[in-house]
Amino acid sequence: MDAISYDKPFIRITGLKKSFGEQKTLQGVDLDIYHGETLVLIGPSGEGKSVLLKHIIGLLNPDDGKVELEGTDLSHMKERELLKMRRRMGYLFQNAALFDSLTVAENVAFPLLEAGIRDRKEINKRVQEALELVELGEHKDKMPVNLSGGMRKRVGIARAIIGKPDCVLYDEPTAGLDPIVTDVIDLMIQRLQKRFQVTSIVITHDMGSVFKIADRVAMLKNGVIYFIGTPDELKQSSDPEIQNFIAGRSGMCA
Amino acid sequence: MNFPFGILAISGRWFLDFLAYLGELGALSGQLVESIKLGAIRGRLMLQQIVTIGYGSQAVVIVTGAFTGAVFTAQSYFKFKDFGIESSVGGIVSVSLCRELGPVLAGLMVTGRVGASMAAEIGTMKVSEQIDALRVMGAHPVDYLVLPRFLAMVISMPLLISECIAFGLGASFLVGTGIFNIPYAWYWKHVVDHTGLEDVGFGMIKGFVFGILIVLISCHQGLIANNGAVGVGLGTTRAVVYSSLALLVCNFFLTFFLNYFFPLGSAM
Repeated sequence: MDAISYDKPFIRITGLKKSFGEQKTLQGVDLDIYHGETLVLIGPSGEGKSVLLKHIIGLLNPDDGKVELEGTDLSHMKERELLKMRRRMGYLFQNAALFDSLTVAENVAFPLLEAGIRDRKEINKRVQEALELVELGEHKDKMPVNLSGGMRKRVGIARAIIGKPDCVLYDEPTAGLDPIVTDVIDLMIQRLQKRFQVTSIVITHDMGSVFKIADRVAMLKNGVIYFIGTPDELKQSSDPEIQNFIAGRSGMCA
Repeated sequence: MNFPFGILAISGRWFLDFLAYLGELGALSGQLVESIKLGAIRGRLMLQQIVTIGYGSQAVVIVTGAFTGAVFTAQSYFKFKDFGIESSVGGIVSVSLCRELGPVLAGLMVTGRVGASMAAEIGTMKVSEQIDALRVMGAHPVDYLVLPRFLAMVISMPLLISECIAFGLGASFLVGTGIFNIPYAWYWKHVVDHTGLEDVGFGMIKGFVFGILIVLISCHQGLIANNGAVGVGLGTTRAVVYSSLALLVCNFFLTFFLNYFFPLGSAM
């Protein structure tokens, strides 16, 4: 917790709006993310959490508003300029998005090769380390198609963190994983934060993970940030919508 | 009242869509040029594509060339015999193969084989977010996917077309001299007299242009794919149909353009 500096935001999102046809997904999101913190993004499905994450890394362009990384506006940058900025970040896709033409090890090595590292020995060593971190050391020569959903996701995590990025964006890192592996992933996110002061933004529906890893929690609802605060503040909120969301109560009768 | 305006509106919409499509292809070409200027050439990927596109397409192109050459020889022989000029079959077959049949047929076969697989592969990568994954990790999709295919295609196409022409001529020779008993020397003299280096160049240039068309159209269909498996299927179909049509239309104009530089006979 000591490493987080709350004086200057690392990523600043202001008035972010995005529509897809008639559907207004984001309707003015304001959010500051600070260096070294783990911010967990919660909220109902289909409310634009992934869309928000894709704006942070510049995969989508906003209709209005902007995303700044240490004061540099990403929202109007050209793709080739963005490519350099993105090397400072890691991103885990919801479905892992592994390259199916490459082996597990080649997938994980990809960000290193793109960063211009050519030393085979170093690449192999770092790939092995990253895969062992997600407990997949012995599967490095398999093709992604031969892995289970949970394993693919863990390869995706290894690929997101191997370049030692300043910031990692996780889109549902623990969805579909068993409780033990979920714990492994949660601990890994914490370890990266403690050891390397990595800033993490995590989308999750697992409230257990939220209370375990979050420094702050943001709830996205109806296209805006509905709540932002510490996990304790979330727990103690008197808002019935928030309490229902935490407890998983839909209000329907059987 | 609405009748004529409705027709106008529909044809106008088609025209605008067509212009927008040309604009998108133009934008992709621009990115490709930028990519070449930046020297973002990935040798290993290009070699892999040369193997897939060039080496892998040889069998289809050879069979296409050989049987076209053989059947064209037979048909020409049947008619030419009426005029007593059957020995000149070699000349007409060789010029046609170099200038038209070689490039067009090889181009169409490559479109079906390679264009479809490019659109399907890139389209699947698009709908499964693998292209976004490339972008996230700092690789430009045009550098990584389009440029290696483009370079492999412009290198492979002229070679494939030469092969198509060579095997077409070989088959024509076998059929002409073997089945129809045209004297070997006569057959060969007509081939050499009527075929110049410019005819071969004509075919190579066409192949080069067709290669560019196939790559641009097929990769574009892959890159814009959406809507899952249905979208990839649609993109693949469009890639083959649009590439084939573009190739045939372009062939017509290219023939007139190139004939200005390499005239055939004294007609123009």
